[in-house]
Amino acid sequence: MRHYSFYGYHGNILEIDLSKGCIKTKPLDPLMIEDYLGGRGLAMRIFYDEVDPLCEPLGKENILVIATSPLLGTNAPTACRGHMVFKSPLTGIIGSSNCGGTWATAFKYSGYDVLVIKGKAEEPVMIDINPEEVKIVPAAHLWGLDTHKTTTELIADKDPRKHSRILCIGPAGENLVRFSTVMNDKNRAYGRSGPGAVFGSKNLKAVRVSGRIKIQIHERERYQSGLDQALYLIKSAPVTKRLLHELGTLGLLKLINIIEMLPHQNFQDTVHKEEDLDKVSGETLNKTLLERAGACYGCPIACQRHTRVGDKKGEGPEYETLVMAGPNCGIYNLKEITRANYRCNELGLDTISFGGTLACAMELFERGIISKKEIAGDKLNFANAEILEKMVDSIAYRRGFGDKLAEGSYRFASSFKHPEFSMTVKKLEIPAYDPRASFTQALGYMTSPTGACHLRGGYAVSLAFFGGTREIPRFSLLQSPIAIRNMQNLGIIQDSLGICRFTGYAFSTDPWSRMVSGTTGMDFSTERLEKMANRVAVLERIFNLEAGIKPEEDTLPERFSIEPILVKGKEKLLPKEVIAKLRNDYFEAQGWDEQGRPPQSILESLKIKGIRK
Amino acid sequence: MTKEKWKASEELIHLFQTVGRASLLYDIQDSHCGNMVVLWKDEKGCERMAITATGSQKGDLEPDHICFPSISETDFGYYKASSEADIHARILAIKGVNASMHCHTKDLTITTFDDDKKPNQPAPFIPVDPLGYYHLEGLVQVDWFEIPSGSSEMTKTIPERLAHHPVTMVQTHGAFARGRTLKEAFFLLCIANNSGYIVRLADKLGVNIENLRNKINNSPDSQFSHPPNEYMIERDSDCDFPDDEEMTKEFIKTGARIFESRLSPFHTGSFSIRGVKTMLFAPKASMPREIGGPLLEKPLFLEKSDSPELRIHKKIYAEANFQTIIHCYVPEAEAHSHFIYPGENKPCERIVAIDAEGSFLYLVIPVVPPKTETETLIRLLHDYRVVIVRGGGVWGVGTQSLSEVLHHPSSVREICLYRIGAFEQGLDLKKMEPKKAKKW
Repeated sequence: MRHYSFYGYHGNILEIDLSKGCIKTKPLDPLMIEDYLGGRGLAMRIFYDEVDPLCEPLGKENILVIATSPLLGTNAPTACRGHMVFKSPLTGIIGSSNCGGTWATAFKYSGYDVLVIKGKAEEPVMIDINPEEVKIVPAAHLWGLDTHKTTTELIADKDPRKHSRILCIGPAGENLVRFSTVMNDKNRAYGRSGPGAVFGSKNLKAVRVSGRIKIQIHERERYQSGLDQALYLIKSAPVTKRLLHELGTLGLLKLINIIEMLPHQNFQDTVHKEEDLDKVSGETLNKTLLERAGACYGCPIACQRHTRVGDKKGEGPEYETLVMAGPNCGIYNLKEITRANYRCNELGLDTISFGGTLACAMELFERGIISKKEIAGDKLNFANAEILEKMVDSIAYRRGFGDKLAEGSYRFASSFKHPEFSMTVKKLEIPAYDPRASFTQALGYMTSPTGACHLRGGYAVSLAFFGGTREIPRFSLLQSPIAIRNMQNLGIIQDSLGICRFTGYAFSTDPWSRMVSGTTGMDFSTERLEKMANRVAVLERIFNLEAGIKPEEDTLPERFSIEPILVKGKEKLLPKEVIAKLRNDYFEAQGWDEQGRPPQSILESLKIKGIRK
Repeated sequence: MTKEKWKASEELIHLFQTVGRASLLYDIQDSHCGNMVVLWKDEKGCERMAITATGSQKGDLEPDHICFPSISETDFGYYKASSEADIHARILAIKGVNASMHCHTKDLTITTFDDDKKPNQPAPFIPVDPLGYYHLEGLVQVDWFEIPSGSSEMTKTIPERLAHHPVTMVQTHGAFARGRTLKEAFFLLCIANNSGYIVRLADKLGVNIENLRNKINNSPDSQFSHPPNEYMIERDSDCDFPDDEEMTKEFIKTGARIFESRLSPFHTGSFSIRGVKTMLFAPKASMPREIGGPLLEKPLFLEKSDSPELRIHKKIYAEANFQTIIHCYVPEAEAHSHFIYPGENKPCERIVAIDAEGSFLYLVIPVVPPKTETETLIRLLHDYRVVIVRGGGVWGVGTQSLSEVLHHPSSVREICLYRIGAFEQGLDLKKMEPKKAKKW
């Protein structure tokens, strides 16, 4: 029976304090829903209200908020994603991570909209959530297990029909690796910024959920009109109807190479041999390792790659993973990269930061900054594929040299007094698109609230090269700041709706507006969704400022200003003055001051309340 | 005149070639018809006219197809010149006129047919759209001639008409326009033909055109959103951002597409893309690739000198996150905005696409009255991305690119065409409209 004033929600926040062993169900404030919707927006607002921005990320004061959206539990395409917000142990600023799979939907079916985890358990624990009961239970027997074994163990333990869903960390999270992940469905990751370490710091191994409590749709006709339009467009846009399904995200590899944006050897250049790329392309994966495609809950796109290497099965590699652990390390060995990907999933490591950190170490080694002695005789040269899987284990278990790498590339390179070889923004490793090949991409990395993230930065690459009608020039100083702001806002809307970025290849906000308005009975017009996005962007910025971020940190590593790459035969780089102009114009586009601070007038116009003085 | 001077300059040839090709592309010529004229001074400072040769192909003019007959006397230049050369010579004598053009404006020609007993004085053509109404100064005179091609009667009457109106019509033949420049004359002929096209489409939709004309006649201001900008003959080759090659290319491409796809008549409409402090603005959106138009950089804040059109762009940017804006006078949309469903008594307030792609891209396109406040327009643009203003053109917005925003008027044109076609066949539009859209 629906007992909440808005459809699409259960109206329940589940708050668990692991220090006190306290479990509370709190009502979801309707006003908060109106302003922050769900997913990223809702999680951010709750997080901001609850956490001290100066808290130690791995201390018990840090909290984790996982929020769902009103569309979860409907049949809206791709609406299965949960959003996790925390203070990142890697970056010291906002951690904001989004994940597909099935866990978030199962959590919603358990009768809750939001999960807030506070404090720190004295011993390893897990949380068991179902509509009848929520428990904190000991999990010492699971501590040390990888994510696959943990998942198998907990599903077998709970439910022979396998209706329960598991969110858990692996040894990397337990060992507080700063770029460790939280996994669900074994291979789906809340990947970036180190949420696994936050779980680990709380002695929280897993969250098991199950339930069958459905939500109701308020106005079916309105919802259906958006749904029909969305499905039609997904089925007619080439990227969503065919490419992602048939080639996975790895199908991007050759395209990104053609547009001279594919990083090589720690972003030193973007030059690759065609025959090398042929060895690791999406097309080759299909012919060699692919067993089948798969899909997250309710997704008609189905981009997952279920693969096999020898007798080992797993998922991946996806584009980012392959490029960062592959060509960006000078490696073009598909099997070794895939094996390393499997191991990252099992042990709970973010594959982007893993690849970026390893590439940084390889460059330091090749430059003689790291000696063989320091790495216990390992060959850390670029192109050494044999080292990949071993390094995953070394990092996850913090063994030997891996202990230093587990800190992420910025701290690692800084420990050798060469932070300039860390290809990071705000200590987060840059994903697999070279920023010198597009101003918009560069600005996206610079201004992403979480550090260099392609998804929080606006996924600008899609605008420039396969954005259909939304394609924009690559090097426009005038267009980039607004374009990236709008793309970032679209990302916030998508994350707050609990839907996949890839739907953006087929359509923008309009059908979602109808679906979410039809579901909730509230008027979530596109204008209102955009305002909500502005609000969330401001709140994320304010949190980062309160956490100590400086505007000069909205920049790129020096390499991109002094070492050009070739784009269409012309040398391209991002001189300091271009970076400064892009940043200043972006601040102005957001309505922020020259220090990147949202002024009082913006807070008032967006009706953002409760900001700390 | 020396042999050397008889040759047209490269600039003149380029002008004739580009306007000639544009007129063919806009379908107001056939392969050989029409003529173009500009006032020209020879080496002695004597005024002559540069005129296209009789029977020349306007889409493929060669330098030899441009002749230079005298304005004041018969000379050898008339051997090769257009059969209407003497009409043009008299048009050029009108004060302030430096160019004239004659085209087979087919839609206007068809609209001005009558089957009355001849001779007669046909009724003038009254445009019902804002471009036609304002630029053609309310009407186009239509005259019947016994010999409606190059005749002495035409030589007498047409210049007299053009002394008082920018465009005049020879019944069953085509229109003549005068201008300060050849481009202005071409602009006026495009506007006139567009007005004829709109009336034809409205007629197909069963719109009571006489009633509409009466309303316009009684209170033109209330029937149109705002008077369009006066046609400026200066600055067509200005580009305020020539160093931004990617952006310049985007603007030229977009302008060409608007013209070639007939989303707005030549040099009408506008589009823009905003930066943080400034916006890049094309005030003559419909620009054939070879002719172009001004590409300007403007501050985002309002200035006293801003045209009403530019002010709307700026107001939208001030109130919303959009990055691109387009405004086109899509003739199909203008005609359709007056459509009244059978059995109803008010023009439709929304257009529902009946074609497959249109119905999924745009479930509903709002149609608003001419004097809709900008605030309302912005709100609707947020929700629908494209809005038809009755008597005011089509406004569209995009969050990223010019390409994105160009798609809106292009789609609207197609959506309206299909609906008009279906209605013409006697089909019930309401039955064809997707049911799911009825609450939107």
